[in-house]
Amino acid sequence: MSSIKVWDLPTRFFHCLLVLSFAGAFLTAESEHNRDLHVLFGYTVLGLIVFRLLWGFIGSRYARFSNFVCSPKGVVLYLCQLIKNQAAHSVGHNPAGGVVIVLLLLLGIASGLSGWAVYEDIGTDSFTEWHELISNAMLALVCIHITGVVVSSYLQGENLIAAMITGKKPGEANQAIANNASSLAWLVLVMVIGLWFWAWPDAKDLNWLLHTIVWWQ
Amino acid sequence: MKQLAIGFLSLIAIALPLRAEQPQDIILSHALQARQDNADFLGFDSHRGEQFFKSQHNGGDWSCASCHTDNPAVAGLHTVTKKEIEPMAPSVNPARFTNISKVEKWFKRNCKDVLSRECTAQEKGDVITYLMSLNR
Repeated sequence: MSSIKVWDLPTRFFHCLLVLSFAGAFLTAESEHNRDLHVLFGYTVLGLIVFRLLWGFIGSRYARFSNFVCSPKGVVLYLCQLIKNQAAHSVGHNPAGGVVIVLLLLLGIASGLSGWAVYEDIGTDSFTEWHELISNAMLALVCIHITGVVVSSYLQGENLIAAMITGKKPGEANQAIANNASSLAWLVLVMVIGLWFWAWPDAKDLNWLLHTIVWWQ
Repeated sequence: MKQLAIGFLSLIAIALPLRAEQPQDIILSHALQARQDNADFLGFDSHRGEQFFKSQHNGGDWSCASCHTDNPAVAGLHTVTKKEIEPMAPSVNPARFTNISKVEKWFKRNCKDVLSRECTAQEKGDVITYLMSLNR
């Protein structure tokens, strides 16, 4: 066993940017002062997930859906084995983690689309309720995701949080991914930061963001 | 006499969900709450509502009128998103104040923006009374 590259750079940048955008959208949800920022973060979530869906088909080995999406039967089997402490170690996502990730991506899309419908006054008022419900469900799922990562880290004796930052996990050399796809990752990062610079509301709203953060604490 | 009045109002409140909500029903439910909050409650006042609607509170930089304009019988304009907001006065926009959960939701959200707190039933009733007093 040695330290091998498992998560390519686009996957890690996506993860980090999604955390920032999702947290930003939640922090700016309560006040009309921050409506522009909230919408910007929401659109970023949508764009990032569209990228991740594509990357799930053309990305490196462990970023692909085919690597971590398995049948419901497979997930139940994994959970049963987990309870008996007999679960096989996954180099990438384990089957239960895979389910949570797919649900997070779907809820992110639903949250973004319902939010867009609210903002553009499409359909009825009920979209507001749906938008809140879906976003809160996503927050709950984020908590489950974090719990799963912490518990798995403990059970497997490896730091999965660090792995999502460095991209490295313990494994055999032949299990490593060949290509980090760095150029694409930087392109995605530049595009997101560019979007934020271009569409960021004026400084007055930045003050309100700070005000909101202070108010939250 | 007071018990009789409360009993009567409560009966109406129980019967309210049986028909579609009207602005009067929403005012009534705020009146019941205002009476609970304050035994000396004397009813709602459209002038007090107008003043509340048009002034800033507690040093905040917004009033209701910042987005809904000084004339709630015309369309408003969101000061941040620049999106149009439909008129607040039921005389020009009959859909207003016909769904109490929607009314409460928006009071809760917007009062936090304008007053940094939730509005009292007295304040909400005054504002709705003011908006209902406006003609086309």
